[in-house]
Amino acid sequence: MELEKLRETAAEIAARDDVKYLIGWKKGSYGYRVAPAFAEDAEGASDFIFSPLCTANLATYLTLVEKLPLPRGQEPDKRKVALMVKGCDSRAVTQLLVEKGIHREEVIIIGCPCPGMVDPDLLNKKYPETEETAELKWDNDGFVIVRDGEETKVPREELLDEKCQLCRYPNPVVSDIMLDDPVKAWEPVEDEGVKEIEEKAVEGRWDYWQQEFSNCIRCYSCRNVCPLCYCQDCILDRQNPDWVYRSVNFSENTAFNIARAFHLAGRCIECGECERVCPANIPLGKINRKLAREVRDKYGFEPGLDPDAEPFQASYKPDDPEDFIL
Amino acid sequence: MSANNEPNIVAFLCNWCSYAGADLAGTSRVQYPSNINVIRVMCTGRINPLFVVNALQQGADGVLVSGCHPGDCHYMEGNYFARRRLGMLKDLLEYVGVDPRRFHMSWVSASEGHKWKEVVEKTVEDAREARSYEGFRRRQIDW
Repeated sequence: MELEKLRETAAEIAARDDVKYLIGWKKGSYGYRVAPAFAEDAEGASDFIFSPLCTANLATYLTLVEKLPLPRGQEPDKRKVALMVKGCDSRAVTQLLVEKGIHREEVIIIGCPCPGMVDPDLLNKKYPETEETAELKWDNDGFVIVRDGEETKVPREELLDEKCQLCRYPNPVVSDIMLDDPVKAWEPVEDEGVKEIEEKAVEGRWDYWQQEFSNCIRCYSCRNVCPLCYCQDCILDRQNPDWVYRSVNFSENTAFNIARAFHLAGRCIECGECERVCPANIPLGKINRKLAREVRDKYGFEPGLDPDAEPFQASYKPDDPEDFIL
Repeated sequence: MSANNEPNIVAFLCNWCSYAGADLAGTSRVQYPSNINVIRVMCTGRINPLFVVNALQQGADGVLVSGCHPGDCHYMEGNYFARRRLGMLKDLLEYVGVDPRRFHMSWVSASEGHKWKEVVEKTVEDAREARSYEGFRRRQIDW
């Protein structure tokens, strides 16, 4: 994707009268960092980028906005929010449309076909971060790291993020403006992480998750970053009934993680943000992907593709599988 | 497990079918294990899957959810929703490593006193055999 074209389009949209702000990505303060950026005018959009480091799912910001009650006599701000999306982010937007978390006329979606993101942890490990700003670019068949004016070519497989290896929708499924031609979807690899756990006996799974969940510090980052966790009255904040106690111990951590994963069953669009932000490196993606796969294989449902679909847990089919019933 | 090493089962029964079915089992003098602690709900569709997680956390050795047969729901479609949600929950619990024998779901109509007996026997037996999950208990509760 050409940077000039992106910035030109971004500036054009940010300058529109009916647009409140444009959400995109810009270079971070040092190293490989990339930060979300909000542009209210054309000038603000002049440093927008789209690179293999733009992992953040910006759809989160659509629902993070605090909507205070309007003072009497004041007109609501009806201007739109413009937003840059990758393939996975666009599915989050579609799922929000399905759940009426946002309305179509409130957003302008700028689609960025995505040839795959890098895994930031892997990148930092293999090509340690410098304080100097470093950049990443896509090449025909891999990534190019630009550091101190030096270019290093890296094969795609070496740094490609796990969620992108499994990606089936690299092109935005919903958009108003596309910034580039669609990329060719690649063959997703087999989900080794989930398979490994499935092959374990029940005891082995329990021990595995006990190990992982005992690291959880209950910071709720996974909930906060998730574009689809936007209940104003979250069960985790609620005191009566007290579903999950605040104490950090294995019992509560497990209950919290079960509740979080379950609330995303049939809704998770596998953008991998929860796993990326987790400070304890809990492989949350393995739970989410497992549930997504169950929903797909058993119920033939896939979230975030059709804005007119019925939400998974608020609908049923008379012939849903019931082999588990006594 | 209670003091005499008997499993404690929490059973969520729908008011219209399974509760009446269990009642019929009682009035017909059908003998079945007394490990069941019944919670009557108006419909299986009212059961939040977190009820199940919470019951296990609070020391239940097994959880049983029972409702009307598909198509017979008093509220037309409540049990269809329950089937979808609790089916997902069962998969999830199994994936996280909770013994799948700790959670069961069944359809028992108001005329199936004998089926109720079989369901309870199976649930109690499974809870007895299921692997220990002490770490998941919130606190020790004497039932």
